[in-house]
Amino acid sequence: MRVHVDRELCVGSGACEMLAPDVFEVDDDGAVQVLQDEPDDDAAVRDAVSQCPTGAIALG
Amino acid sequence: MTIEAHGPDLDAVDLNGVDLSDRDWWTTPPAYRHAAFDRLRRERPFAFFAEPEIPGIPAGPGYHAVTRYADLEAISSQPAVFCSGRGAVSMQDVPAELHEFYGSLISMDDPRHAKIRRIVSKTFTPRMLERTLDSVRTIVDDVLTRARATAEADDGAIDVVADIAAPIPLRVICDMMGVPEADRPGVLANSNIVLSGGDPELIGGDDPLTAFLTAGMEMAALMERLAAERLADPRDDLTTALVRSEVDGERLTHQEIASFFILLLVAGNETTRNAISQGLLTLSEWPQERARWAADPSLDRTGVEEVVRWVSPVTWMRRTATQDGEVAGHRFTAGEKFLLFYNAANRDPEVFADPQRFDVGRDPNPHVGFGSKGPHFCLGAHLARRELQVTFRAIFEQLPDLEVTGPPHRLASAFVNGLKRLPARLGGDR
Repeated sequence: MRVHVDRELCVGSGACEMLAPDVFEVDDDGAVQVLQDEPDDDAAVRDAVSQCPTGAIALG
Repeated sequence: MTIEAHGPDLDAVDLNGVDLSDRDWWTTPPAYRHAAFDRLRRERPFAFFAEPEIPGIPAGPGYHAVTRYADLEAISSQPAVFCSGRGAVSMQDVPAELHEFYGSLISMDDPRHAKIRRIVSKTFTPRMLERTLDSVRTIVDDVLTRARATAEADDGAIDVVADIAAPIPLRVICDMMGVPEADRPGVLANSNIVLSGGDPELIGGDDPLTAFLTAGMEMAALMERLAAERLADPRDDLTTALVRSEVDGERLTHQEIASFFILLLVAGNETTRNAISQGLLTLSEWPQERARWAADPSLDRTGVEEVVRWVSPVTWMRRTATQDGEVAGHRFTAGEKFLLFYNAANRDPEVFADPQRFDVGRDPNPHVGFGSKGPHFCLGAHLARRELQVTFRAIFEQLPDLEVTGPPHRLASAFVNGLKRLPARLGGDR
């Protein structure tokens, strides 16, 4: 499972970081950075994708 | 357990008597209002209402009340079709003079919104907020200790709003911004006025427009002073970060900083306050849920999410159509207004199993208490969540004897689901 974040769409809500802190982090530019490109396929990452308010996270 | 807390009586609601623009309607018992929204959601999902009259502001064309979760999400996630720039926090279009103080990013569209949001979100990341958590714990501990002292001096009596729910978020946000102690009572009073919904008790003798303008000017003046001080003498606070932060070489203008400051003070204050006060009221109405949560700190996360779903501290935000179109079979034309009723979406049975049940372990809980999909999702959601988790856990530990003793005094506002007072006592039975 590959994770991709569109940093233009991201508004830095931190919703993904709350759900999967090992995979996502809002960085000093106020947008999300992916900490693990290929995390384990788990519910937290999928929740982060579905709960992102701007649909900025994609799974490949 | 009371009927108010549990069984909404659908038959008691005459939809023709429901006027969401009538401020007094919002002081009716919550169960009645939820029953009305259940009916609206089922029978008139885009119900049309006339706008209320406010002296000095011409009445607009009216609005549609969006009450189904799916419709609300569809509108919220298409910001180009349903914009915020013509006003997001008022039923009326915002008069130019108010826009100066209240035209913050909440009432802005991209690309300007995206740019400012980015400048701000840099200073508001979860990581930066984690660093402030220790001070949040200290503040909560101190406020609860004072509440105990107040109770002991007054035969056990406290007011949940004045003694617990109001001081915690006020001190947290003022600490973060670096607002001096001497300015804080003024901040609380002005923030009350801004979110009063025109409630006469809170705005004093002034007409609402004058009261809003005066409150805005006073807060802008405070921010001007603070911003100038921080530019000259930087400190480790949010105000310093804001005056120095830039994106693509661009900094916030003076007016943008003042508007954002007002947004933070108001949004960071009142919403969390009402989540605390109404959360405690709700827990008193659902004693089994209270006992379950108090006994199990692993429920802090889901418990807080359920409080936010249940309370929906901000009742709605507005969007305005920029073009003709159709949503869920409802045709609309450019300029039509939509009020997104988060409180109604948060009890939509299509999304939430047994939505009228308060369940501190509810999971998943995709509530829209911090807003739905789209770029305007609450900037302070992370702060609010952590602050509320710390607060409720501390209350369970330090004030296990807290007992609500009287009916709440509800704010007469369509916009903010607020309490003005909530009588309680600390019985000393710990």
